[in-house]
Amino acid sequence: MTATETSPVAAPSRAASAGPARRLPRTRTVLVAAAAYLIAFIFLFPYLVMILTALRPQAELREPAYLPTDFAWENFVNFWSGGLSGNLLITLQVAAGSTILVLLVALPAAYYTARHRFRGRTAFLILVLVTQMFQPTAMLVGIYREFSQLGLVDSIWSLILVNGGFNLAFAVWILNAYFGSIPRELEEAAFIDGTGRFGALFRITLPLAAPGVVTALIFTFIAAWNEFVVALTLTTSPEQQPLTVRLNSFIGQYQVDWQNLFAGSVIATVPVIILFALIERKVVSGLTAGSIK
Amino acid sequence: MQQTSPLTRAARALAPLAWTGPAIVLIAVVVVWPVVAMIQSSFLKISRFGVVQGSNGTANYAKLFDEPDFPGVMARSVIWVVAVVAITILLSLALAQLFNQRFPGRRLARWAMIAPWAASVLMTAIIFKWMLDPEVGLLNMVRRDLGLIDALGGADADQLGQAATAMPWLIAVAVFVSLPFTTYALLAGLSTIPAEVYEAAKTDGASRLRTYWSITLPLLRPALTVATLINVMNVFNNFPIIWVMTHGQPGYSTATSTIFMFILKGSDIGESAAMSVVNFGMVIVLVAIFLKVSKWKNEVS
Amino acid sequence: MSKRFAGVVTLGVAAALALSACGGESGGGDGGGADKAAGGSVTLKLVAADYGDGPTADNSGEKFWKGVVDEFQAANSGIKVEVQVINWNDIDTQVATMVQNGQMPDILQTGDYSGFVKDGLLYKVDEVLSPNTQSDLLEKFAEFGKVDGTAYGIPFVSSARALFYNKDLFAKAGISEPPKTWDELKADAEKLKKAGVSQPFGLPLGQEEAQGESFLWFMGNGGGYKDASGQWAIDSPQNVETFTFLKELHAAGLTTPNPGTKDRKTVWEDFAAGKVGMVNGGPMSMPIFEKGGLTNYGVAAIPGKSGPLETTLGVEDWIMAFNKNGHQEEIKKFFDFFYSSSAAQKISDTYKLLPVTKSGIEKLSGDEKLKPFLDALPNATFYPFTDPKWSEVNTQIKQTIGGAVTGDPAKVLGAIQKVATAG
Repeated sequence: MTATETSPVAAPSRAASAGPARRLPRTRTVLVAAAAYLIAFIFLFPYLVMILTALRPQAELREPAYLPTDFAWENFVNFWSGGLSGNLLITLQVAAGSTILVLLVALPAAYYTARHRFRGRTAFLILVLVTQMFQPTAMLVGIYREFSQLGLVDSIWSLILVNGGFNLAFAVWILNAYFGSIPRELEEAAFIDGTGRFGALFRITLPLAAPGVVTALIFTFIAAWNEFVVALTLTTSPEQQPLTVRLNSFIGQYQVDWQNLFAGSVIATVPVIILFALIERKVVSGLTAGSIK
Repeated sequence: MQQTSPLTRAARALAPLAWTGPAIVLIAVVVVWPVVAMIQSSFLKISRFGVVQGSNGTANYAKLFDEPDFPGVMARSVIWVVAVVAITILLSLALAQLFNQRFPGRRLARWAMIAPWAASVLMTAIIFKWMLDPEVGLLNMVRRDLGLIDALGGADADQLGQAATAMPWLIAVAVFVSLPFTTYALLAGLSTIPAEVYEAAKTDGASRLRTYWSITLPLLRPALTVATLINVMNVFNNFPIIWVMTHGQPGYSTATSTIFMFILKGSDIGESAAMSVVNFGMVIVLVAIFLKVSKWKNEVS
Repeated sequence: MSKRFAGVVTLGVAAALALSACGGESGGGDGGGADKAAGGSVTLKLVAADYGDGPTADNSGEKFWKGVVDEFQAANSGIKVEVQVINWNDIDTQVATMVQNGQMPDILQTGDYSGFVKDGLLYKVDEVLSPNTQSDLLEKFAEFGKVDGTAYGIPFVSSARALFYNKDLFAKAGISEPPKTWDELKADAEKLKKAGVSQPFGLPLGQEEAQGESFLWFMGNGGGYKDASGQWAIDSPQNVETFTFLKELHAAGLTTPNPGTKDRKTVWEDFAAGKVGMVNGGPMSMPIFEKGGLTNYGVAAIPGKSGPLETTLGVEDWIMAFNKNGHQEEIKKFFDFFYSSSAAQKISDTYKLLPVTKSGIEKLSGDEKLKPFLDALPNATFYPFTDPKWSEVNTQIKQTIGGAVTGDPAKVLGAIQKVATAG
């Protein structure tokens, strides 16, 4: 995090995710693949159970059976008819808003600290690290006293601010590491070519830093998408609540509406998994820079 | 340092502030302010519905330290963090090694690993509780069919009902949701190790285990340090897993300090704020110990 | 580096402390105010708990209140009512947020009012409820709305408890009628166990409803949370004896396993699925049992140590008026409308909750299924929730009382008594 600029860090290789190029004997490959598939299945397993439960008819919920006898697809339809799509939209707005906020704020800070030494640089980087230690869950009382003084309770802006603020540390850290790993000579060459300082930044440095940017982005997005406790505290009206909080209201006073709860969760999770899958390779190379610093 | 830009001195002095200013403001507003408000609250008398009734001196702290369950809760928090992080790191080392091999379908297998990261921890905890339900839990049905328990619904099938069996499950779920990030961080670390290093080791006739021990692990240290650090902070503050699966029960026997703080919030906001402040102190101490032990300085600068 | 790191952290914490020391006190913003909508009409903000099964359900609180409000607005053109329904898990937190924010609703319907009285936030009942409506409320119920002799809370709905038993399982175990005493209960539970019932008696003593379940058992032995003189008596000999009995019951495998971790919801779900022989429930559990596929159940008085309970646990929910926005007249109109219209009966019909007015009870007296509960209402016993310590005691009960079934009853109850009598 506080590496000097002269540290000999190579730019991450494009083939970063390929791993050491070793030819494996055939049976070994089979064994490795089998183990990997098994583990992959274990990771997916709880979510498969979630989908299967979401498809169970009400009457079968308390029956110890592995599979439902018939599939109640209407549980997924209920999601839309219950007006929860509006909450899905709030979640999307909060997640996208926090992500944009984090990028706007973290990019310049990370770039500058990676490229320049200045008074207070170390202090700034340590402030960022300390931020990472404070999780909103531990400071709810403080957060809601603050936002009620600001008059921002029950507004998506407060959620965007909080999610942005608490995810800033990770973004600055990853981006700082990434910028640091891009040889400044590349940028300077473009600068001398007459591209201009900002031209060089936007045409050379940012594209090279794309994996880092993507990683910071996906982190913030997922964290904000799934955030629950702060939203529970800061939003009071049903139409202002993100999906996580709204889903919680399926846990009623006398009973839990399990199928709708699970159906809603599946709907909330799938977009994130797809998004993640799309950029999985960039995440590995983004983390690469972060982890070697 | 070579200064290539033709900025004036004044502009140069202000430049850092222009670039880092927004970040500082955001941190100040979102993180520092609530921390201050929190610390303030810990010295106030606050009614159950949040109306401030005046100063309370250090009475909130005195009451907190006087709680019969306080020492147990603090000890459990430390065990919880150490156990979850240690197991996560060990498993992630193995998983990273496995997923770093070449095999057909590797990308798909890696995608699958993302699921616990992409899904909300809250929902993951709920689904695990559901799978452990004594009457209809899938895991209990499997255990019954394997002959591990006689019947559903009894005490044997109620793993979350007693601290001795609930704690391992809580830790397992916390490890489960921490694995994706950690494994990815280590995979990233592995991908920075040049293949030549391994080839050199091979020519020297080093065994696989020895190569791993004396080449891979040392080169992974920076990635390990970072992953551990992030995990310590996240696990310590983790709330949904225990809240959903046991609510800290029976009694407070599965509660960590974060859970304790939350339960206190329902009856005494000032005392709950005091618990939060103690919590901050704990995280800082844990992180400082870790950094000291891991010789952070050597790794990072 | 780590030294410097530690230094900066120390500095940061010190700075935060200094800031907080001089930051001083800053209560909630002013918010609120009389928000007159266009055309000189007044908007009342009503916050209510959801008695239904969540937002997508047919019986959602939002739908119920919309019906009431539409009718009210049609009759009172100058007043608009804005309703916000919050589920029971979150309503306390959310209302706390509103209060701290200074954005009090005008009307709040929830499980307790007493916490707001001390902060001076509520209208007195006399100020917002006409004498006619007041005299229709059941006296015993209205009495609990008073703090130091002045009424602030208006009874909204009530509920009572009774023993539910699964008739099919009873027949299978060869039991002809429900137990009346603890000994009979134990004997029946043993028969049910032999007949393969995994939870002969459903005993939810987890954080959700431990205070209710425990209270019912205490009553069966002449105990309670307070004694006749109004002093806390949680670890009284009767109560310890009660939990000693429950401990034996549990040790013999006749109850839900590890009751101290089980929520009422789960146990009711299991009862509905035919996995539980007997359970304490209320009118509101009937639709849940039926929805879960159980229709052949019986309702009886709760067994006590030597005979069935003559009293039962009455639960009252409240509606109250906040004075912050000054809408006294409009609130009064709304309350009088609510108590005189069909709304109260609609609540009973939809949610199987019981009325709190004499006229309401009369209207329902024809309902056979509700009869045992309506009969018990006038004798009901309530939680000591007007005691300022109750919320703290309640938190402690919910979290720890289940431990008395596995640990030492005297010790566990003694610890709770200590919380109740401290300071």
